[in-house]
Amino acid sequence: MSAAVAQRPLVLGSGHGGLPARRAVARWAWRLFRREWRQQAIVLALLVVAVAATTVGLAVAANAPTEAGTFGTADHLIALDGTDPQLAAGLAELRTSFGTVDVIEHGKKLPLPGSANGFDVRAQDPHGPFGAPMLRLTQGRWPQGPGEIALTGRVAAALGLGVGGAWNQDGRPRTVVGLVENPLDLRDAFALVAPGQAAAVDRVDVLIRASADEFRARPRPSGSTQVRSADASASAVVLVLATIGLVFVGLLAVAGFTVMAQRRLRALGLLGAMGASHRHIRLVLLANGAVVGGVGAVAGAAAGTVAWVALGPLLESPLGHRIDRFAVPWPTMLVAVLLATITAVVAAWWPARAAARMPVVAALSARPAAPRPAHRFAALGGVLLAAGTAALALAQQTRAPFIIGGVLATAVALLLLAPAGVAIVGRLARRAPLAPRLAMRDLARHRSRSGAALAAIALAVGIAAVVTLGAAVTVARAAAPTGGNLPADQLAVWVSPEAMAGPVPTLPQEQFDAVRTEVATIAADAHATAVALTGAVDPNQPLERNGRQPAVYAKPHAPGPGQPGDVMYNSRDMIGLFVAMPELLTHFGIDPASVHADTDLLLGRDSIDGYDLIPGRNARWQPVQQHVTLPAYGSLPSVLITEHGLARLHLTPIPVGWLVDAPAALTAAQIEHAQRSAAAAGVSVESRPTGADQARLAGWFTGAGIAVALGVLAMTVGLIRSETARDQRTLIATGARSGTRRALTAATAGALALAGAVIGTACAYVSMLAWYHREAHWLAHPPVLNLVALLVGLPVVAYLGGWLLAGREARGIARRPLE
Amino acid sequence: MSGVLELRAVSKTYVDGADEVHALRDVDLTVEPGRMVAVMGPSGSGKSTLLTIAGALESPSAGEVLIAGQPLSAMSRHDRARLRRRAIGYVFQDFNLLPGLTAAENVALPLELDGLKAAKARAAGLRALDELGLADRAERFPDQLSGGERQRVAIARAVVGDRRLLLADEPTGALDTANGEAVMRLMLAACKRGLAAVMVTHDAQLASWADRVVFIRDGAVVDRTAPRPGPDSLLTGEAAR
Repeated sequence: MSAAVAQRPLVLGSGHGGLPARRAVARWAWRLFRREWRQQAIVLALLVVAVAATTVGLAVAANAPTEAGTFGTADHLIALDGTDPQLAAGLAELRTSFGTVDVIEHGKKLPLPGSANGFDVRAQDPHGPFGAPMLRLTQGRWPQGPGEIALTGRVAAALGLGVGGAWNQDGRPRTVVGLVENPLDLRDAFALVAPGQAAAVDRVDVLIRASADEFRARPRPSGSTQVRSADASASAVVLVLATIGLVFVGLLAVAGFTVMAQRRLRALGLLGAMGASHRHIRLVLLANGAVVGGVGAVAGAAAGTVAWVALGPLLESPLGHRIDRFAVPWPTMLVAVLLATITAVVAAWWPARAAARMPVVAALSARPAAPRPAHRFAALGGVLLAAGTAALALAQQTRAPFIIGGVLATAVALLLLAPAGVAIVGRLARRAPLAPRLAMRDLARHRSRSGAALAAIALAVGIAAVVTLGAAVTVARAAAPTGGNLPADQLAVWVSPEAMAGPVPTLPQEQFDAVRTEVATIAADAHATAVALTGAVDPNQPLERNGRQPAVYAKPHAPGPGQPGDVMYNSRDMIGLFVAMPELLTHFGIDPASVHADTDLLLGRDSIDGYDLIPGRNARWQPVQQHVTLPAYGSLPSVLITEHGLARLHLTPIPVGWLVDAPAALTAAQIEHAQRSAAAAGVSVESRPTGADQARLAGWFTGAGIAVALGVLAMTVGLIRSETARDQRTLIATGARSGTRRALTAATAGALALAGAVIGTACAYVSMLAWYHREAHWLAHPPVLNLVALLVGLPVVAYLGGWLLAGREARGIARRPLE
Repeated sequence: MSGVLELRAVSKTYVDGADEVHALRDVDLTVEPGRMVAVMGPSGSGKSTLLTIAGALESPSAGEVLIAGQPLSAMSRHDRARLRRRAIGYVFQDFNLLPGLTAAENVALPLELDGLKAAKARAAGLRALDELGLADRAERFPDQLSGGERQRVAIARAVVGDRRLLLADEPTGALDTANGEAVMRLMLAACKRGLAAVMVTHDAQLASWADRVVFIRDGAVVDRTAPRPGPDSLLTGEAAR
């Protein structure tokens, strides 16, 4: 029975269905994510880790030590001589010039048991206009009037005083009425009295808020001036690093999303058969990318915030200031979350484009597109690898644009070389036994899937190999018999944490003796001898941060944009000027009697041409030089000034540290013990880097690279094997052994892992050769264990994992993906 | 009266390297509204290719395809996608529903893709499911439905809205006899409402339900018959409403 019905005219209309269509497609993408998020767990995990690390990094950057501990909310500090009769006039002049100022009076430094730097009695208004954030009351109350004082915890503990205790340190009896701290600088040890109640003022710090132009233009008394540098760059640096990290996560995500698109091919074909346009199909995968990115980013931000809130306060001691655990740069964090989401969407774009362009019939049959000739990608990859390598070589390890460009070009090259790697695997199959032969040929046949996975594995291995090789270079340098800062059997103990590059405090004799005793203990523990290192200072130089800058030779540079003055000096180009004390000369095998009477400088280097002697006033000095033999290490003396030279420059000696010389290379444990002892005495230790930290880092990266590679394999191998299920059934029907399925899966995983490991490691070696092209000999010490783990361990684990997990494949293997 | 589907001298040739495979050769076929045509033939004869070309999923190498009088050759890729979601419904043998969407959402999806608001599309989808006796399965996901239910939902999706042409590729191939007959009843009921249908099948008994049977061998139509009308008793019960 049939019926004829009049045909209505068909109106097709226009457009792509507008918002309802987009919403329907996005809804399906969300549902698919909920169903299949485990298949994208590796991409999700990488995003979570990246955003969590960024969140913690931003929080640390926001809470990084700043100069607020010295400046409060001001931006300029003028230090005036507290004994200057013109002090009151100078303060008046500053008030006239700048309006509101905050005055902090410092007494002379008093010795503090266990510390080289002592402490000062400070008269400061706790509610001062700029200095208020530098004071916090932790117990009791603020001192008022002449008979009251408050102490920091460290001073109170060292002096055995508490609230209510009797103070009699600065010649004036006082009662301790409170415990205070500088929350912006917990290392700041001081005693606080009410404004104007310091017994003997040695120095007056005046905090001023003014622009650089105002400060330059307005009259002010002479005195040491400090200008606060900008604080805002740390978050930007973290964000830049996070972006670079996300680029790599994005590259891995491209491979992950490609595999996902292949898994969903039939569903996408069905959608196309229903009338979805190519835009709708593209939107499905872009929406999936947005969902994965959004979920990963939000989860990462949440994990990072929780980690920071829980662990942030533990950083107060190492960072040296109080931490507000909720002082996280939320807007910047939001930017990081958006960046991660955008990264995932961008990563999904290419697979989405490829899927949208695939014919509906081909998609419905889940037949992957015929692989494009691998040599086209390989040629482009080769060009990019060459360009990236050249950029890394030209970067000279310092030029950021070349470094970023080189790293990105190399990473993209690695992705493009992967299909060629798969093709080679297919060609090598000819000589392999049956199961590996089939597995390798299947990899080559399903290149659109295996190529993306291989690229992701190679990238993960490549990153791990780069870190490993870099660490190996550091370790090799540390093990080298010459060069570097110090020989492996010596330590330098410095009075100032900045060694010779910053002001060195003048130690009272009592304190100097205490530190010397501690250094002797450190030397005895290492069966070493200790030799004093003496610097030279201008006694008339104003105090700066409770000390004076010792004379050094420094290379002048032109100031950068926005930097004040005509010339700049960088601490990396400084040569310490040490006094040629007889004990030091003898230690270096120089007979003090061999020094000529008119010699000003003993040079262990060829010359000091091109260097300025700073701090100033000595530009025209033409020293009489005498060449001697001194060890060629960066932190050891290479220029010594004689008593004759000191007298000509009107400099006086000042103890700056000790050289601890052991009979054998110091172990990591000995160095760590020395560092702990030195920290307790308020001094710092410099040693030759052992590379132990870098080696540990290399181990972590190797493990992480292997884990990511195995995750990618888990995503991919099942898919490839399910594609070839029919072949397997045929194989078994023709008499193959029951273990064939396991062998096939294992061989697929092993071959993919091996190819990825070889390509990743090779690219890493090429990059590192370019990076260290001037000192390639350091790469002659390969990190054997790490490389064996990557090149042998990863394929073996992948093979064994494939073998074990293939046992569960029996029921699912006959089913096609997504059914 | 002109047909909903008209194939005029349609040929399809696949090129594989130096080899050429002629999947269809000069096929002429017209399907009027309310008529069902069954296509039979051995494996590899070109039945499925005919269906994909008729459904605007593939373009013919030669000849012309008209749907509701409009030539596909004049349509852009976007127009063909619009045509599929507005006028053509597909039922495949073994893979018909999108995972992650409920039965109602699967049925409503073509309407939403065409720009109908979600609530209206859903209402239309529920109506279509109700007509096929699947109202109580509306909120179930595909993996919670039996094979027969999945195919019935697929038919609901293929006929929802203002569809003109129903294309079915072995729609009962994965079903038992009872479910297969139920699916056929639904397809015939859809034809009675004015849809034109083309069904590819290997089963001569099912083909006998069609108004016309076309035999294809090596890409060419070798025979056309008009089988005896199927028993009216098949069009009873809910499916014949």
